[in-house]
Amino acid sequence: MSDSAFSFLGRTLRRRSFLRVAGATAASSALVLAGCGSDDTETPTPTTPGTLTFSNDNLGLLNYVYLLEQLEAAFYQKVVSSFPLDFTAADRAAFIDLRDHEVIHRETLKFALGSNAYDANAGTNALVFNFTSLALTSRNEVYAAARTLEDVGVAAYNGVAKLLQVAPDGSHLTYLKLLVKLASVEARHAAFVRDQVQASSFADADVVTATGVLAGLDIVKTPVEVTALIAKYVPVTLVATSLPTI
Amino acid sequence: MDFLTFLSRIADLSPATTTPTDDISVRRVALTRLGKVGAALLPAVVTALPTPAEAKLLNTTVLDVIKLALTLEYLESEFYTQALALPNAATFFGSTENRTAIQTIATHENQHVALLQRLLTEAGAVVPAKPNFDFTGSKNGAQPALYPDVFTNLDTFLRVAQLLEDAGVRAYKGQVEFLVSDNYLLEAFVRTHSTEARHASHIRTMRRQRGAVVKSWVSPSDAAITTAGTAPDKAYAGEAAVVQYTPGPRAVPFETTLPINVGDPLLSREALLAKVAEAFDEPLDATTATELALLFIY
Repeated sequence: MSDSAFSFLGRTLRRRSFLRVAGATAASSALVLAGCGSDDTETPTPTTPGTLTFSNDNLGLLNYVYLLEQLEAAFYQKVVSSFPLDFTAADRAAFIDLRDHEVIHRETLKFALGSNAYDANAGTNALVFNFTSLALTSRNEVYAAARTLEDVGVAAYNGVAKLLQVAPDGSHLTYLKLLVKLASVEARHAAFVRDQVQASSFADADVVTATGVLAGLDIVKTPVEVTALIAKYVPVTLVATSLPTI
Repeated sequence: MDFLTFLSRIADLSPATTTPTDDISVRRVALTRLGKVGAALLPAVVTALPTPAEAKLLNTTVLDVIKLALTLEYLESEFYTQALALPNAATFFGSTENRTAIQTIATHENQHVALLQRLLTEAGAVVPAKPNFDFTGSKNGAQPALYPDVFTNLDTFLRVAQLLEDAGVRAYKGQVEFLVSDNYLLEAFVRTHSTEARHASHIRTMRRQRGAVVKSWVSPSDAAITTAGTAPDKAYAGEAAVVQYTPGPRAVPFETTLPINVGDPLLSREALLAKVAEAFDEPLDATTATELALLFIY
């Protein structure tokens, strides 16, 4: 078995500067991909946030999912680093599991992307997510915040599968298989944290369609919808409009 | 509908762009895709598969996929329907909250049945009748029961529910690759699949609240609910995999280069790999999924 198809794809996309960050802060300017071509002429300015534009292909989609997993991992790491005082031992164990799962998801996607990861050359200047909009001092607040993030994650995974590009080399199948392996674990997370906020709310009508011809189907959101929902946590401007929509 | 109208409607279809938003989409996709073999892409795919065993499924059609899903949804729907119809249903579930949760799951399974039946009907395919089910696993008394107290002991009921839901997640996951030619069906299946994962998570949470050693996600640390080597155990065989592949294929180097051991204190190798196993649900192939369903069909 050869990985030439993957490598070929990667080279092609690097030449096209598949993802650009026109950066400003010290952190975001470090996000500019190595391999962005000489056509990358944006001038960093110190006062505007960077922009993260996802490319119109599988690597753009994987970078989008990678960002979501980074966000989730960072959220759980923040909670684990400073548990609310009313967290039980079981809560702590669960959140350590959740943190570990999301770190594993994050690193899996980063490995899959390799030098095509949007932050492949960010070094220690990886994105620092902003959770100041979340109240995280009590058990209920923490679980409610987790519920919000997990439901968005599930909706994103539900929407991304069909957007993966069909490629004759079959690599899309490997990506599809990998992403659905993560998707159901995220749905398990979401159901768990929902139940902790409100008993038996694991599949309420706000996350599983209740009526109509699509009744019984889990929530789905497009990348544009998802990036709007998470924008307040992310220190750069997300542009998902280039991603595939069909 | 006369035949010419029918043809003009077919000609007007663009299934690759459909999304599961309306009834028309269902009809378009169903009409055009059911007979299509998912093999157009597959000669090259074989070289990218991490395990050659999957090659045996290459002739799977969309029709096969829907029929398998319908069998599994009939199974789940009937399981919860029978439980909710028990004469002592008011007390069997232990609490109103538990009963409501089971009702929620039953409603979803019924909705999944309806969706799959409609896909078949609108494609002009024959809708398979609902089989006869015996959830004790005795084949209607023809053999010793696997779960003789499934409808008299809540813990047994929840064990069977967990088995069905976990296996359902895996079965759906194993089929999505055969739907890549059809965005509508692919999205619908992925969304159904995550609904099943929510169910599985909740059933596991219920069991844990009743004292079972089980996480809400599938973990090597779960107390087994099946016996190794038996047919029911196939629902969990391979679920503890710690090797994942990206295209190439390249195995993800969990044990070597990835910074995934972030706990304080650091996890042992065994504990870290258990987390890796938890972080991925694994697919089941159609043959195994069918074998599991047949445990309860006579």
